[in-house]
Amino acid sequence: MSAPEPTHPLAAVVRGRHGATGGEPLRVSFPAREIVQVMMRRGQDSAVAAAMRSAFGIDPPGPGQAATGSGASAIWVQPGQWLLTAPRGTQATLAARAEQAFAGLAAVADQSHGRTTIALSGPAARDALARGCRLDLHPSVFGPSRAAQTPIAQIGCLVHQTDATPCFELTVFSTLAEPFLHWLLEAAAPYGVQVA
Amino acid sequence: MTQRHRLAAGGHVDRAHRLGFTFDGRRYEGHAGDTLASALLANGVRLVGRSFKYHRPRGIYSAGVEEPNALVELRSGARREPNTRATVAELFDGLDATSQNHRGSLAFDWMAVSGLLAPWLGAGFYYKTFMWPAAFWERLYEPMIRKAAGLGRAAALPDPDRYEAAHAHCDVLVVGAGAAGLAAARAAGMTGARVMVLEQDFLLGGDLLNDAAHDAWRTGTIAALAAMPGVTIMRRTMAFGFYDQKVLGAVEQVADHLPEPPPHTPRQRSWTIRAKEVVLATGAHERLIAFPGNDRPGIMLAGAARTYARRYGVRAGETAVLFATHDAAYESAFALAEGGTRIAGIIDPRTDSVAMQRAREAGFTVRAGSVVTGTIGGKALRGVEIGALGSGSRGDALPADLLMISGGWNPAVHLASMAGTPLRWDDSLLAFVPGEGAWQRSAGACGGVHGTGAAARDGAEAGRAAAVAAGFVAGADVPLPEAPAADHRPFALWEVKAGGKAFVDLQDDVTANDIRLAHREGFSHIEHAKRYTTHAMGTDQGKVGGLVGAAVLADARREPVASVGLPRYRPYAAPITWGAMAGGEVGQNFQPVRRTALHSEHDALGAVWMDAGLWKRAAYYPRPGDADAWASVKREARAVRERVGVCDVSTLGKIAVEGPDAATFLDRVYANTFSTLPIGRARYGLMLREDGIVFDDGTTTRLGPDRFFVTTTTAQAGPVMQHLEFHLASAWPDLDVSLASVTDQWAAMSVAGPRARAVIAAVVQGLDVANEAFPFMAVADCVVAGVPARLFRISFSGELAYEIAMPAGYAGHVWKAVMEAGAPHGIEPYGVEALGLLRIEKGHVAGSEINGQTTAQDLGLGRMLKKKGDFIGRVLAQRPGLTDPARPRLVGLRSVDPNRQIRAGSHLLVDGQDQGWITSATQSVVDPGWIGLGMLRDGDARIGSEIVAANPLMGEEVPVKVVTPHGYDAENLRVRA
Repeated sequence: MSAPEPTHPLAAVVRGRHGATGGEPLRVSFPAREIVQVMMRRGQDSAVAAAMRSAFGIDPPGPGQAATGSGASAIWVQPGQWLLTAPRGTQATLAARAEQAFAGLAAVADQSHGRTTIALSGPAARDALARGCRLDLHPSVFGPSRAAQTPIAQIGCLVHQTDATPCFELTVFSTLAEPFLHWLLEAAAPYGVQVA
Repeated sequence: MTQRHRLAAGGHVDRAHRLGFTFDGRRYEGHAGDTLASALLANGVRLVGRSFKYHRPRGIYSAGVEEPNALVELRSGARREPNTRATVAELFDGLDATSQNHRGSLAFDWMAVSGLLAPWLGAGFYYKTFMWPAAFWERLYEPMIRKAAGLGRAAALPDPDRYEAAHAHCDVLVVGAGAAGLAAARAAGMTGARVMVLEQDFLLGGDLLNDAAHDAWRTGTIAALAAMPGVTIMRRTMAFGFYDQKVLGAVEQVADHLPEPPPHTPRQRSWTIRAKEVVLATGAHERLIAFPGNDRPGIMLAGAARTYARRYGVRAGETAVLFATHDAAYESAFALAEGGTRIAGIIDPRTDSVAMQRAREAGFTVRAGSVVTGTIGGKALRGVEIGALGSGSRGDALPADLLMISGGWNPAVHLASMAGTPLRWDDSLLAFVPGEGAWQRSAGACGGVHGTGAAARDGAEAGRAAAVAAGFVAGADVPLPEAPAADHRPFALWEVKAGGKAFVDLQDDVTANDIRLAHREGFSHIEHAKRYTTHAMGTDQGKVGGLVGAAVLADARREPVASVGLPRYRPYAAPITWGAMAGGEVGQNFQPVRRTALHSEHDALGAVWMDAGLWKRAAYYPRPGDADAWASVKREARAVRERVGVCDVSTLGKIAVEGPDAATFLDRVYANTFSTLPIGRARYGLMLREDGIVFDDGTTTRLGPDRFFVTTTTAQAGPVMQHLEFHLASAWPDLDVSLASVTDQWAAMSVAGPRARAVIAAVVQGLDVANEAFPFMAVADCVVAGVPARLFRISFSGELAYEIAMPAGYAGHVWKAVMEAGAPHGIEPYGVEALGLLRIEKGHVAGSEINGQTTAQDLGLGRMLKKKGDFIGRVLAQRPGLTDPARPRLVGLRSVDPNRQIRAGSHLLVDGQDQGWITSATQSVVDPGWIGLGMLRDGDARIGSEIVAANPLMGEEVPVKVVTPHGYDAENLRVRA
């Protein structure tokens, strides 16, 4: 018996347009991701960097930064810790690849089910996020490849800007993804929002 | 009704745009650009409210946020909003406003008789009179006083509108958009800085709106700001608080000027603004002069009368007297005369001045060296009594329906003071001005710089300096308005002592005599005098008379005003609504709801939900045959005891602990040992707090030499993670250990009951679950129903039990497989209630016993504390108070009469003495009747005895038998079966 497709925490969300009609809406999507938490062991900075480079083509990003390599991205989350993400694929799981790459260098915790990523894009994305996000996301301060963790609507959120549209990938605990999305759709409602 | 007091031309109202509104049920008309106050005045409405205590008739006193009198209710039904100042309520078509604080009609308020009792109603009257009998306070006095003294009525229905919070950041925040604020914004904006301008008014310009000569500069500056991409101007936005590190709070009245908010629009938005630099340009508030009868409808601040004339094109009176102590106020006389008001006289305590001469040249009668000693009229002013300065006697009277007064101007230092800026007394302005620094620059009138030209120059300098401080390079000069200097230096006249009620606080009905009474009775500190008299409280917070009261107190204390000072400024600088404070966090958004991956499975089974922190958990699953909730709970528990049940335990906290020092770390944070735990085994663990009290419990599994999987209780998942991270970061930075919260990664379900093994065997692949191969406390990775899973043989219920943990996305699939495999065995899902029943029956402690007050010994877990090696809580657990053998101990309890309920919270009485309490209670399914757990002094020695469970709240005294908490399967044969 092969494993079934996992159920996405936001599987029940109504797709389509929400909020104000007319005009170009904000876009919300739920990219299918594998996510692992990589936690470096003491004194393994250069070895972890080398391993991340060779296995994923990524130079480990520093504080507040994210970096993308060959088919995977790394987001710095705390000293010596990164979230490694990759589109869900058919080959070996990201967790298995990371376990192998970082064996003896870093602990690896699979969070593919524990974290849920919601992508928000559109010119009004910053204004919508400002309804709950205390971070200054102005282009002069924040931008593509920047990431930060902050509470939004009482829910811990990892905010990662992926492009200058702007597009923000918002990663939250999976069991709080539903109330988080509820907040996001309310915040985006004045601009109209298309859920894909 | 025609707007008979509306001027034919001038100002910032759109006479072509008529707006209908009602006040106390009567229909009126105003124009776009009006406030409710200006529209009422245009229609000749003078009486708009009754005072708080004496119910004296009151009229519109100001033209802004400082209004003490004209508090009204706006709208009706669910949108009814009390205590709104008519002077800041923007008029819209269909506005429905009502006066407040009167019984009977506004014109005939029978509560006004309290005015006749005034001699006995001075400051402190309530404190002195309603002291005793004490029992009368709650039932009689307080409701009576509240009814008599209340202001408006809040809507009793749920608010139909939405409110929201929002965050903003900028380099330079400018509060106020008068001459100083606009110039500051432009100067800062020219540097390329991100600038935000907050203006509480719906029009930008402040006092510029009162002089057509400055309109070109005003509109030009606004246009220039609008063309700067980095500048954001927010109108109808009032900054109410200045907090540490240049964080300001503001409320934007997004839709208050509309009958109801448009779709997807909140009524108000509460902003938290983080600024690099702040320029305050909040202007100044004109102050009153205390003289007898200074509160009648028709008495108005001089600047307000000018604003009504110039900005709104409204004549506030037909025949006016000006009573002023400085030259700038004379502008009001000129402005009103232009609008056709007859100036009956100008009363000035000074002997001579430039403005006096100008006024005389213009043909006005100026009475130098004179003061107003009293007023004539009832619901409207009819005349003004005049006497010589210092004589204390009344001379002649002038007929007037408008008395304009000005005792000087108080810089609006509220925000500066909240920012920690010390206030400094200015001897020429006779007012407090901001001292040096502390997170803000005060520019223009709020910094004591009066006059359009001077204020704009001051603002431009402050805006430029703020931008430079924020890291920008100063830009070119900004154009400034040309304006003659105005002289705002007043003569020091605070009070005219002439007998009669001279108010220092109109809203709270505080008189100069009340202040002196407070002083006589020992409340001489300004903060004490404020609380004793209610001076400077209310929606206006003493903006109009606060300093006058302080001056009266200073006079009584024979000290300068500067040393008496003002009560401390605190947020809110002006009133805001509860809706704005709550923002969007109401109803469903009050707190996030956390759902397990199995939520929809429980839903499909008809679960009754209960809240566990943020979580929704299935309490029980009612079935048609169940007589009541207890029937469902007992049915589920019996299924576990007799056959097999399945329960969602995903909410337990789960932490992956990994690293070369992981075992050492766990030995230190747990009171028992984990370094000896074999790989593939779980162990029950007990964590103490630093102070020796039990913190949390759970099972921890060893998955590898340096890999552990820790579980916590649902309630303590967050605190335990924090506790572990804190100690790793601060106490033992030398330990190489990493922590990952995997609570959400893994969903988990408990399969419990004598037939659990059969069910597990049917769904598990690649693992021998025979008792010998997979004994109690064994753990293994395996495949369950085709998905990767981890199987634990652990039990909370006291039965043979397994926990299956799987990546959360597979939980529904596994649940269905377990239910299907369990069907032949009579499996039933059980909820948190049955789980509680089972653990009480078994004698396992949970949150009710691990309540932050109990030690391991108290809970009968003393033997778990390791003898060798240190651990958190070891030392302080040895304190005499915690090792006292007389401390209450965990016991089991059983109601002697099986039908008599016992309740958690009941006290345990031994010979009438309170010796403990019941922590948890339920009904047993093994031996029917009410059972419980409790904490009882000498608990071990009292096993077998009969005591009383008393619950005074329910009026119950239930005989209970003390039993061992571990009465069910004491040898643990069932869990090992």
